[in-house]
Order: sequence, then structure tokens, then C-alpha cells
Amino acid sequence: MTQRFSCSTCKSADKVLEQFISDLPMETSFHRVESQEVKCEFGLEGVCCRLCANGPCRITPDSPKGICGANADTMVTRNFLRAVSAGSGCYIHIVENTARNLKNAALAKDTLKGTKALERLCDMFGISGGDVYSKAIKVADAVLIDLYKPDFEKMDLTKKLAYPPRYKRWEELGILPGGAKSEVFSGTVKSSTNLNSDPVDMLLHCLRLGISTGLYGLTLTNLLNDVMLGEPEIRQAPVGLRVINPEYINIMITGHQHSMIAYLQDRLGDEDVIQKARAVGAKGFKLVGCTCVGQDLQLRGSHYTNVFDGHGGNNFTSEIILSTGAIDAVITDFNCTLPGIEPICEALQIKQVCIDAVAKKANATLIDFSFDVRKATSENILDEVVAAYKIRRGIVPLRVLPDHGNDTTLTGISEVSLKAFLGDTWQPLIALIADGSIKGLAAVVGCSNLTAGGHDVLTVEMTKALIAKDILVLSAGCSSGGLENCGLMSPEAAELAGPKLKAVCQQLGIPPVLNFGPCLAIGRLEIVAMEIAEALGVDIPQLPLVLSAPQWLEEQALADGAFGLALGLPLHLGLPPFVTGSPIAVQVLCEDMKTLTGGHVLINGDAEESAVLLEDIILQKRRDLNLA
Amino acid sequence: MRRIIIDADKCKGCKNCSMACIKAHKSSDATLAFADPQFESRNTILLNGEKKYKPLFCRHCDKPACATACMSGAMIKDPKTGHVIYDRDKCATCFMCVMSCPFGVLKPDRMTNTYVVKCDFCAEHGSEPSCVKLCPTKAITAKEVK
Repeated sequence: MTQRFSCSTCKSADKVLEQFISDLPMETSFHRVESQEVKCEFGLEGVCCRLCANGPCRITPDSPKGICGANADTMVTRNFLRAVSAGSGCYIHIVENTARNLKNAALAKDTLKGTKALERLCDMFGISGGDVYSKAIKVADAVLIDLYKPDFEKMDLTKKLAYPPRYKRWEELGILPGGAKSEVFSGTVKSSTNLNSDPVDMLLHCLRLGISTGLYGLTLTNLLNDVMLGEPEIRQAPVGLRVINPEYINIMITGHQHSMIAYLQDRLGDEDVIQKARAVGAKGFKLVGCTCVGQDLQLRGSHYTNVFDGHGGNNFTSEIILSTGAIDAVITDFNCTLPGIEPICEALQIKQVCIDAVAKKANATLIDFSFDVRKATSENILDEVVAAYKIRRGIVPLRVLPDHGNDTTLTGISEVSLKAFLGDTWQPLIALIADGSIKGLAAVVGCSNLTAGGHDVLTVEMTKALIAKDILVLSAGCSSGGLENCGLMSPEAAELAGPKLKAVCQQLGIPPVLNFGPCLAIGRLEIVAMEIAEALGVDIPQLPLVLSAPQWLEEQALADGAFGLALGLPLHLGLPPFVTGSPIAVQVLCEDMKTLTGGHVLINGDAEESAVLLEDIILQKRRDLNLA
Repeated sequence: MRRIIIDADKCKGCKNCSMACIKAHKSSDATLAFADPQFESRNTILLNGEKKYKPLFCRHCDKPACATACMSGAMIKDPKTGHVIYDRDKCATCFMCVMSCPFGVLKPDRMTNTYVVKCDFCAEHGSEPSCVKLCPTKAITAKEVK
């Protein structure tokens, strides 16, 4: 009998997973939640400042200002801007690499799997003439030129990507972004020691970062990847720990930069590479999806079913997937790669490889991705993985869970594939919303965390409450990893929906929660919102659409949230983003934002209450549009 | 006699008290590393049923159950200071004090499981509790009580 590591593990909405974790003989994030239960309230409220040697200064009734004179509003918004800047930097790093990869792929005349997606980008950008490769180079260059502009020069593509009424509002507010990388730089400078102390100015900068993050880091990353890797196609696919087949050499991938593994992914299906696996007793190679890059693989999975079986789970499932013992290597291209995987990899002799230095893990071999030498480095990685397989298999115990998850998750949904499914027009969806069959749309996005009720607990419970109210849920991010493993993205979940939504789902054969894949696909949701608003002739804030990141985790999610606010959407969060110590920040984010962009933040950690709040907003927007 | 008085409503869970306690009781030649298990705090902050902070400190009780339960005379109530004092040399490691503390504040030491980790009111620091000195919100104060 193996011994449990601990008796008290964090809850999960996924009960099979929860039981599996509680029986594990090794420590995971789920085991560490209890020991970190007592949180410092200064940190929670954002009123701890350690920007200078006089600090850390903390705000209390007896010490209402830091030594420098900074009050709670300055401290909070400075900390918040730092976080949003860092989050934006992460996404801009992703789109920069993606654009560079597209350019290099075009220069090398690699196969571009998504020529329709390329045409769409060319239409958007106003690019014409030349073959696919020269078009792809022009598209990539247009993105890169914008990203590298100084902060005092506005980016050109913003106007081409944004919904015109939104662009106009952003222009009026003076929040059109300059070069996306420079905006991150300015946000960092602004929030450094004894520079900006104006809370409103710093919050407006967050909106500017939200726009550059959303349109470039999110929307464009998807579209550029679609060109290289193929467009999403709607299909059903397996999810959960069942996707792990121990008969193969299994590589788990974590991160957000799908294009960085494109070459390796293609190689895994080549006969000479399969022979390498057979030579050591395996049937071949399989990629096991984890975190958002796994969601991205799943989304485009129809293009490579031979090497990708399905998505294992979200950010906090990574340690668990590894603990099965059936994974031979982890390839990391970015976050969300928890440090907690390291001791598990060490104990189970799992090879760790990082292909982007920004996500270099302590135990990992860094094989920095470079397009020029991708062939050689891919062979190198494959050899490392095969070597790990040879050493570890047979001696490492397997704890596979073939019953976890399901085979029926509907995936491959994008702004293009969904519209095509509806007959190349949004009218059927608009008609269903107009006649009340669908009360409204809720974009439930973002991460999973372990503190808003437990792993995926608030996300899943709130989503269930929303669909029961006939609200169609669209999801992108690790939220979808949890929702799909809990079965809400399978057509059978229609049974959990309210009577009207249930009828719609059954008629169309779709689940009440639509899976757009990775957090990057929040950009796809924005396109859906924009096109529906366009069809109706209204602005985005008028739509019966709400945004929720119930279990937001990290700085990137805050940059996503800033995008949602810039779009003018009501933004629900399960936990406050370390701003509650500032009356001005709370006032601006929760109230004044309504007059600035039309959006606002609402915070509630209770699933049922949150669903009621979001339903009320949807009902109000319906009334404002004269819908019954 | 002086006691540590707790106003839980003022606690912000920053754990300065625990850090202060560890620092005050480490040997002078030890290098402080907060992840090192040899360093233990005599106080802690828990969350109560309503998820509110619950600072847990030795009360140096008027009728200390720990001293009553102690059969070796290691745990005694000092009649002059009112503090409940623990003498490690006299301790028989029966941990009856740990069992009987109504607040659950006493614990065996983590590394050797041979002695009790117990508040001494910072006797080596002039009986001015280090935790009180570092509390930023005055959730804990040292006060003279009758």
C-alpha cells in the first residue's frame, strides 16, 4: 500500500480528480493550500509597498501614508499597474514570437496550413498581391512593426482590428496604445519609485495596456497561429487523464506558444521518428495537452490526430498529469508552468525541457527555440525524450486514470468555425437571443486557482448556475480545461441547462458551454462580440454579454481583464485583484468605469450570487435593447 | 502582571508576530532562513470558522492547565510575574501539557519531538514580547492586568 502524502487536500470541482489527488503519495499544489491559508491582508488589499529602502510600508489607521507620503490610492494603483504591465508583457512576448515564427516559416517556405486565415488577415490589414509566402511575411511584418514602435507612436493595426465605436471611445479617452512593448516599458517606469502618484492616470494606463494586450497579444496570436498551424475545426475529442496512453512515449506540453513546437509536433508523426520509439518498445510518440498550449492543440487537433490524443487538464492539473508516471518528458514554452512540477519530475525521472528562456525551470535543460536550427534542436529534444523513456519506464510506477474526463467534449470552436456552423452568419444566434431562447451570453474565461472555493469550484458552479438561467456560456482559458473535464462542454450537459437553452442545445447538438480553447482565445470571443454588435448596429457594451474571470490567477489575467474593461464589458471576478485598499481604485473600477468605457468590475466569490448578478446585468441590457 | 492581550478584529494576518518570535528565539549564531524547519514560532495565526483571523498566543493562564498537568515540574506558574514558565531540563517529554492546553497553542518541537515550544514572554529580551513590538496594527498588546 502506498502512503498518502497528506490528509488535507484542496477541493476540486472535478471529484474524480480530487479523490485521485488525496490518495497521491507526493506533494502537489493541492496539498500546499492549507499551509498558506492565512493571507496577509496588507497584500490582499494592495497596501504594502516595497518599492524603496524605506519600506516595506503598510497602510493602517495609525500609518495612513508610506514614509514617502504615498497614500493607499497611490500604493494600490502603482502595484496594480506593475501587475498589468507584467501581464501585458507576457502576452506581447507571445505575439512577438508568433509573428517572428510566421515570418520565418514563410521565408523558409514551410507549409502554411491556414491559407483562409491568411486571406482574412490580409483583408483586415489591407495587404494584397504576391503569393502566400510574401503575404505572410507582410502580415508578420505589419504586426512586428507595431509591436516595436515607441510609446509616443500609435500602432497602425489598432484601428483595423478594433470595432469602430470602441476605437472612437478609446481615442476620446486618450488610451490608444503606442508600441505594445513600449507601453509595457512605460507602465513599468510609471510605477517605479517616486514617479507617478496619480491613481486615475495609472488606471487609464492599465486600459491602454488592456487594448494592446487584447488586440495584439490575444486576437492576433490566434490568427497568426491559425495561418501556420491550421484553423480550428469543430469536432468531439477526449479530455482528462484518460488521454494518456502509457503504450506511447508521452510528452506533456505546457505554455502558450503553439508555433514554437510546430516543427517538433509534425516530426512526431514521421515514420523515422516513430521507429525511434519502436526501437525502445513504445508504439510511437504522443503529445499530452496541458495548460493553454494544450487547449490550443486541442482546438486545432483535427490537423494532427496522429500525435495528439487530447487535452489532459488545466494549469493546476499539470502536477497531477505528471504524477501518473506515464509522462516521459515535459516541454515548456511559457507559463503556466508551476514550480511544483519540478520535484515530481525529479522523483519520477521525467525529463524537463524548456524551449524559451523566459520559462526556464530550475531542473530543466534549456534548448532555446530558434527557427534557423529548429530541425537540429527538435532531433536533440527527441533523443533526450527517448533516453528518458528508456531509463524510467519499467521502474517508475504508473497511476493512470483511464476513466477520468470524457470522450465527448466539443472542441474546435472559433469565431470562424462557429459562424460557419450557424450558416456563415450570426443571425441564427441573434434570433435565439432576440426571442429569449438564449437570455444572453457569458464569457467565462481566465485561469483556475485553488483559493476561490478550490480548483475550478467557482468556475464550474457559477457556470452551472448561468446555464440553468438559459445563459449560453463561452469559455477560453484554463477555465475551459476545468469545464470540459467536468463534462460541461459535452452535448449531454444540455440536461443541466434551463429549459429554453436546453432545447436550443438539443436541437443543434451542442453543449451549453462552448469551448474556444486557450486564454488567447479571449481574443476570438472579442471578435464574436464585435461581429454580433456590428450585425445589430450597436456598441459592444450594449450587448447582453457579460465577462467573468471567476478564478483569475495571474498577472496575465489582469491584463485580459483590462481589455474586457476597455471593451466596455461588465467584468466579474471571484477574488479582488489586490485593489480593495484604495477607495479611488474601487470607485474607478467598479463605478466610474461605466462612464469611461461602459464596463465595470464586480466582485463576488459565491457561485449562485454571482450568477444572479450577471443575469441581472444581462436582463437590464436586454431591456435597454427593447428585448423582452 | 503583564499579559499579551489580543484584539482579533485588528489582526491583518501579516505574520509579523511569528517572524518576530522566530527571530527572538533563534540562537545568535544561526542564520535565519524562514523555510528552515528548525525555526519555530511560539505563536501562530489561524482562521476561525468565519475565515476571520484568529491570532493564537500563550495566555499565561491564571489557572494554567499545562502546569497542572505537568508531573515533572517543568511547567510552573511564576507567582511574581504571573508567567507560565517552562524548564526544558526538567521536562519528561510526556506532552501532557500539549494535550491539556485548552487553546492548542503548545506543541512539541518539530525537529526532535523532545521538548515543548512555549512562549517565555521574551525573558531574554527584557520580558518585552518581540511579537508585540512588531505588530503593525496593535492587534496584540502587552498590558498590565490584575
